[in-house]
This record gives sequence, C-alpha cells and structure tokens, in this order.
Amino acid sequence: MIALRRRSFVLPRPGARALWIVGALLVVAACGGDQRPQPQAGNSTDAGGTLRIPLINDPILDPVVAPDIGSVMVNKVLFPGLVRPDEALRPIPDLALSWTTSDDGLRTTFKLRPGVTWHDGTPFTAADVKFTFDQILDLKSGSRLRSDFAAVDGVDVDDSLTVTFRLKAPFAPFLTLLGYNAGILPKHLLQGAPLADATDFNRKHPVGTGPFMVQDVSPGASITLVRNPRYYGTPPRLDRIVFKVVPDVNAQVAQLRAGELDLITIEPANLASVQGVPGVEVQQVPVVQHYYVGLNVARAHFRSPAVRRALAMAINREAIIKGVLRGYGDPAVGTIPVALRDFVADSLLPIPYNPDSALAMLAAAGWRRGADGVLRNAAGAPFRFELLLDKGNPTREQTALAIQQDLRKLGVDASLRTMEFAALVRDRILPGNFDAVLTWWTTPPDPDQYAFYHTGQDNNNVHWSNPVADSLLALGRATRDLPRRQATYRAFQALELEDPPVIVLFFPREIQAVSSRLQGLPLLGIRDALRHSERFAMRAP
Amino acid sequence: MAAFVLRRLGHAFLVLLLVATVTFTIVHAAPGGPALLADPKLSIAERDAIAQRLGVDRPLPVQYVRWLGALARGDLGNSFLYETSTVSTIAQRLPNTLLLAGAALLVSLLVAIPVAAWCAERPGGWLDRLAGAVALGAISIPVFWLGIVAILVFAVYLRLLPAGGVETIGGDGSLRDRLAHLILPTLVLAAAGTAELLRYTRSSARRQFARPFVRTARAKGVGERAVRWRHAMRNALVPVVTVIGLQLPRLVGGAAITETVFAWPGMGRLGIEAALARDYPLVMGITLLVSGGVLLASFLVDLAYLVLDPRIRLDA
Repeated sequence: MIALRRRSFVLPRPGARALWIVGALLVVAACGGDQRPQPQAGNSTDAGGTLRIPLINDPILDPVVAPDIGSVMVNKVLFPGLVRPDEALRPIPDLALSWTTSDDGLRTTFKLRPGVTWHDGTPFTAADVKFTFDQILDLKSGSRLRSDFAAVDGVDVDDSLTVTFRLKAPFAPFLTLLGYNAGILPKHLLQGAPLADATDFNRKHPVGTGPFMVQDVSPGASITLVRNPRYYGTPPRLDRIVFKVVPDVNAQVAQLRAGELDLITIEPANLASVQGVPGVEVQQVPVVQHYYVGLNVARAHFRSPAVRRALAMAINREAIIKGVLRGYGDPAVGTIPVALRDFVADSLLPIPYNPDSALAMLAAAGWRRGADGVLRNAAGAPFRFELLLDKGNPTREQTALAIQQDLRKLGVDASLRTMEFAALVRDRILPGNFDAVLTWWTTPPDPDQYAFYHTGQDNNNVHWSNPVADSLLALGRATRDLPRRQATYRAFQALELEDPPVIVLFFPREIQAVSSRLQGLPLLGIRDALRHSERFAMRAP
Repeated sequence: MAAFVLRRLGHAFLVLLLVATVTFTIVHAAPGGPALLADPKLSIAERDAIAQRLGVDRPLPVQYVRWLGALARGDLGNSFLYETSTVSTIAQRLPNTLLLAGAALLVSLLVAIPVAAWCAERPGGWLDRLAGAVALGAISIPVFWLGIVAILVFAVYLRLLPAGGVETIGGDGSLRDRLAHLILPTLVLAAAGTAELLRYTRSSARRQFARPFVRTARAKGVGERAVRWRHAMRNALVPVVTVIGLQLPRLVGGAAITETVFAWPGMGRLGIEAALARDYPLVMGITLLVSGGVLLASFLVDLAYLVLDPRIRLDA
C-alpha cells in the first residue's frame, strides 16, 4: 500500500567519541530492560516494546474539541477518521473502504469498513459518523472543527455501513480534511450532552477505534495506551505507547538522551545536544506550515504591492534558512508549502534577495533614502514600523533579528516587540492592531488557502485583498479535477510573487530526534506519522 | 487560646477576600485572555461560542460577583484548560507538591541546622568557609539551570537516577522507584532554601554563642553538647522558625520551576500553566490555596514561638 521508509535524511555523525559515551551506552543497554516487550500470541515475530513520546500538558482526548497539538497527537492514535493521509499526504481509505462523489460534486457516499468495533466492543456504524459530524457542525458542542467543514450541509445514514455527505457547494479539500483532524467519535457514549462537558470521556476514558487504546491516565504525568486486539487494520506491533508530560524542551532532550523518551521534535537551537549522541538519530520532514511576516495591508505603508515585494527582496531569506534554521527549512515561492508536492509551483523562481532593486522599487513608491541613510516619504516621515512576535522561541526571535538587520541596511527601521503568544493573538493580531507580525500558519495538507487570503475571511488577519486571487482561491477549492486545480494554484502562486499577501520566510522542516530502536516511523510530520502507529516497533535494546 | 484562634481566623478570612479580589483584578487585567480563545484559526463564530461557554463574554463586575457567589457555596468553578472542577484538578496535583516540598524542607533542616551549629562554634574554620562558598553558589545559581545540569550529570552521563517524573511509567510503582525519582528534584528544590537557612541560622547562632549565658552554662560545667543544643541553639532557632515559616509557602508555590524541569506533576507547574493559559478559575483556586497556606504557616510559626521561647505568651 504505502512504503514506509525512514533514515533517508539521517545526519552524519562525528566519528570520534569519548570513552565515557561508550560507557554510557553500555549503561543504556543495561538499564533499558525495565519495559521489555511481553510476547503476545500471534505477534511472536514482532519486536513489541513501548514507545515514549513527550507532551507539554495533559491532552483532551476528543478530536472534535481538542485545542492543542499534544491532544491532536494522541487523538490521531485513538480516533481514526474515514480516511488518512499517506506519505505523499494524499487521502487513502481508513474507516471508509471506498467512496463515490456525484457528478455535481455535491454528494459523497462512503462505504464503511465492516466488522469494526469501538475499544469497548460496540460495533462501529454509519450512525457514529453522522453523530460526529452533527457535533462538528454544532457550535454548542465546543467543536473546533466547524470551519473545516463549513461546506457540509448535512450527513445522511443510508444503511448501517453507508453514509452520504451533502455539501452546499463542491469542495475539493473535503477528503483531505476528513483525514486531517476529523476522528470519528462513538455515539453510544457521547450523545445527549455537549462534547466539551464529557470530561470523564475526554480526560480519562476515551473510546475510539484506533490501533491503541487508553489503559491508564495519570494527570499531569502520563497517558498509557496499549495495543487494541480488535483493531481492524494491520495488527499493531508495539505493546504500548506512553505519552509523558514533559513540559520543558531541554528536559525532553535530556530524557531522550537518558533513554526515557524515544521520539521528540526539537528546534534547530537544540540540534547540537542530540547530534552525535549514541542511540539517537535525527531526521527531518517538511511540514505543511508557512512562516511569514504579515504586513498589515490596512496600514498606509504596506498598501502598495510593490512595497511589500521590495521588502521581501530586502530580506535575505536564504541566509535565515542557513543561519537560523541550520538548513532545516525550504525556500518559498508563495504561500503553498513544498510538502504539498502536487501543488507547489517549483518551476517559479522565488522573489530574489536584491537590496539594490528593493531600494529602487521603494524609491519608485515614494520612499527615498536621505543623507542620513533613512528612508523617508515625500512628507519627510521615516519608514518605521513595529514587528511583533511571540516570546520565547529562539528560532523566531533570531529570525526577527535577521529581518531587522536586513531592513536597517535599507534605511527601514523595524522595531521588534515580543509578547506572550496568547496576548499577541488576542490583543494585536485578531483586532488588526499591528503593523507587522512574524508568525506562521499550520494548514491542512491541501492547497486551499481561501480562509487565510480571500478578501474579508476571518483568518485573513493582514487584510490582503486581490480580486484575481479571490477568484483563483474560490475556483481552487471548487475544482476537483487535479490538473485544473494544479493550474489554478500555480496561477495563484505566480500572482503572489507580484502582489505578496505576506512575506513568506520559509517552509520549516520538523526535526525529529528519535531513538535508533524505533522502527517503522514514516517520513511524515509527527502528527500524521502517529496515524500509522500500528507499523511502529521498538527493537529490543 | 480559643479567642486567639478565632481572631486569627477572622483575619485570615479578610486577607483571603482581599487576595481573591486583587488576584481577580490582576489576572483579568493581564494582556491576552483564555488560551482556548487564542487560536488564530478560530472563526469569529467559534470564538464567540467558546467565550460564551466559559462565561468570559460577560462584563467583569458580573463575572466577579458570580465567582464570589459560587465561592460562597464552595464552588470554585471549572478549569478552562482541563474542563474538570478546579478543586479536583488541584487536589490531583497537591499531594505531589506536598511530598516534594516536604522532602525539600526536611533536607534543608537536616543539613542546615547541624552545619550552622558547627560553623557558628568554629567561625572561619574549613567547614565554615566551605559551607559559605557552597551556600553562596546555591543561592546564586538559577533553579532551571541547576535542574538541567543535575539531570545531565546524574541521569544522562552517570545513569544513576531517573531524569524526571514521579515513578517509572509501567513500572512496579515500588517505594524504591519512587524514592529514586524524588532525589534529584528534592535536592534541586532544597538547594537555595538550605543555603538561606544555613546562613541565617549560622549568624543567629553566632550571636547566641557569644552571649553571657553560654559562658555561664560552661562555667557551671554543663556538657558541651547540652550547651550547644539546649542553650545556644534553642535560642538561636527562635528567629530561624520565622524563616522556615516563610519558606513553606515558597516551597509549595515556588516549586513550579523544579516541577517543570523534572516533569513532576505538581501544583506549582499547574499554577504556571494556568497563568500562561489565563485559566482564570484555576489561577484563582491555586492563589487562594497558597494564600491559605501562607496564613496557616504564619499561624504555626506563632505557635512554635510559644514552644521555643517560654517568655512569649498569648496574652502578651
């Protein structure tokens, strides 16, 4: 079905090692035995074992109301959806075996997999699917997925294993979104009360259909999952997956090195502490995110597309990828990340780094450099703005400094201001109270960016508006034919070069530091990788 | 005695009410808002629905009156983050914090007081100078750094102790396993407090050793051990009890960094999490509990004076 490879990105290790590291390795070998795999009937050839992954806080074990990344990771294991992403991030069958879409694109009918049971033994049916999407669409449930499925008009149960989705308009990202966060919930346990109030379910006793099920929850400390003997797919190889709450990133690295964690994601700044460590491998995966400087188009400075393009030209983005990300990122053409291989317009050239052209373009837009080296407009006002970013992330803080220095060379004065993320979002970004902000979007694995860049959408925080882009974005999400869709998004990316909605800095790669005992990890971001957890195994130490 | 306790209870009630009001004002004045609402991807409709569910869409005075009313009925509301009741959320974490803080206090007392007594009798001796240097280091080194270094040395390089958590997950939960997990966080949490206590006790003891009654006791032929402990140290410890009393709440509330570095599921870390996420009910609950702890500790300090110094009387 899908090839699960890894290590194609493994970094070289330095050859020389001090003796004490060898000593430490021997101790790992000696100490690692406390969680030795227990042989299970029917799995005698498998390695078994326990996989330990950190979270930063207790997750909410319900994919419809879960608000944070940690919860999403656990829920990917517990709650499969109708489809799931393969290694190219294309949807493949999961709880649904097959599907057909009507010619007008308004009805999609799914044939569900027979014989699937919930972790408590109750059969899974079409009624569960309908229940889940009724909840997703109901704001009172506490749903956080409603905007993903705003195009869904309703769900009909045709028979116990057939379900039809009615759409308000053709919606190409529909299947991808089904495999993104929309895990299916058990109707028999959750009906009758808002999902957010079902605290016993979503904190202690969640019931899904996934390859592992919850055995034990220890608040603030850990969640232990054990293999689900009734799982409908490939039998899981691991005995257990333990999610440990380890809030501090440095402590996560230390625990990985001490052999107490097996799979963590790190920032480029942490690379030095895992590279060359025996028993630890580093791999990198492009993820569906774009990091950008959002220029508030409602502010006079940034209204002109030429000014935004000139500022993009003034920032040495290659140098940021090399210096700040240590190469763990990809240069950007437009806002569609390279992880979306089918849609990224790699034949287009990115906006080049060219401060001289940037100066010329700014001069044409009325910003001239005076004898003091400061850019001023006709009224004599200097080109000055505030660049906001969230506090505490070294990658973003260093990136902001690099941007500030590049712009200063041009005579543009960008003052940096860091804020707590929640305050940044709530007090500045959402009310539109900012000049410029360094932030990022994590998007579903689909090129549809209607919500972010179409005129007047809730997530279009920079207030960008381009009528041609509007029609391309509307066309792109309504077009199901792949070549036509690709052409639409290619045109969108070409347009973004001339009228940049935001200055895309880079597409990051997720850096995973992994115990070399872990096998079967696909080359996907950790969240999507966890939807393939039945293939993971830990080699015996 | 009963009147004394009643008066202190009355004071405590007023102080708690004041703390509640001030905390309520401060947490709501802090920039940002509940983390649940800080997801930039939420649509306006989704955000409104969440705000309504949390009750933060009402004007502040209304929220305050509702919160006080619920408090009067003993209801601290539900945590925004955990969606479980504030009381049970705290109750799950409190025992871990008490264990860690208690162990740290015990270590502090067992180390600081005998060493201080020794140093006070032999000022400028090798132990005095060594203890002074170590104490200065322990007070100066930030806890997060000390914690990470302790993990690197004892868990990563030497592999003697676990790097974090309260027990091995999936392990046997034995006492030995739990003790092994307790050692590093206890030592790290105890470091600064021990140093402070040591310095304070040493100077207090030095003053006592120089006082005439010590010379008198020695002249009467009292044994050196009795001079040291029954005469000098007993008097030296009266002000030290105050320092210990002040450390109690700091140990409980201030264990946050140690708990974070050692992945220790305690209340201090919960408090930081709650503050960062603007989980108003949880912040309020923890603040009230810690303030209650401070009041209780100062009450216990007063009682301890009675025991240590017979000259102090309740009616005085």
